[in-house]
Amino acid sequence: MQPDGSLQVENTVRAVLRDVLGLSAERVAEFREDTPLFGALPELDSLAVAGVLTELEDRLGILIEDDEVDGEMLESFGALTRFAAAKALG
Amino acid sequence: MIDSYDWAGGREAMMRFGPDAGPVVVAALPLFEEANRTRSFVVTILRLLAARGIAGALPDLPGQGESLVPTHRTSLLKLQDAFNFACDRFDREGRPCYALALRSGALLDVLAPVAGRWHFAPILGEKLLRELKRTALAADPQRKDLDSLIFGGDSPIEIAGNLVSPALLGELAIARPAPNARIVRLATDTADAALKVEGSPLWRRAEPDNDPALATLLADDIAAWIRACAS
Repeated sequence: MQPDGSLQVENTVRAVLRDVLGLSAERVAEFREDTPLFGALPELDSLAVAGVLTELEDRLGILIEDDEVDGEMLESFGALTRFAAAKALG
Repeated sequence: MIDSYDWAGGREAMMRFGPDAGPVVVAALPLFEEANRTRSFVVTILRLLAARGIAGALPDLPGQGESLVPTHRTSLLKLQDAFNFACDRFDREGRPCYALALRSGALLDVLAPVAGRWHFAPILGEKLLRELKRTALAADPQRKDLDSLIFGGDSPIEIAGNLVSPALLGELAIARPAPNARIVRLATDTADAALKVEGSPLWRRAEPDNDPALATLLADDIAAWIRACAS
């Protein structure tokens, strides 16, 4: 089943960050649009980024090309969610 | 108990659990780093099966765990061959063998002498190859030409601290799990499965973790499936 709304995509991004980075549900529940990610979360190093992207692909049924990955999309929770929503919802 | 088994390329260690008679579940961990992340989870499942009266074995395959074979000297064929030998040992004792595999471990039991295959979150070799390339790129963003490294040379390639042979990567490009396995996946996975379970993907965690509740659920499913296969 593919998520059919942006809230679902947002929840999926939250769950992926929780599961891949080993964060608590409380901590990811506090993530807001402007919460900084890459460079601000010590758990999110470059290898963990690879895991986050791959897990997002599996859960949203999308394909992310490596040349689409840049610092901007990982800058904040909002930026990553927007990227994932654009991919999943077209 | 720590036991061992012999295969064409030497001797490897094998952890064993449960009774000395009856069916044996032989487990295949995923390849590379994911093996470390899922080892204690798989051992938990095998212990739970032992408590349900079903024997289990976790063989070290060439290039994995305590194996003396260097990681870049192993190949998919050697891994499959060693797994076959580990199963064959029980098969010769007249004990029915069942394969339990996680993720890319599902690529290793294709030719094994087993009565059935049970796969948790299995992936195609092609998918693993894609993930390896992404990991290598994440570790070294300057590294652009992974495809020519894989398909054009003989020198081992370093991926996230492991030396891997280009031949193994080439084998992965076309490797697929056996088609007749019982497939179980996490509820969050969009791919098809006979059973979907709640839980988180332990194989993605940088720090090895365990999930006893999920292990119990899976051990129950494996035990019921073996009973159904045997009847």
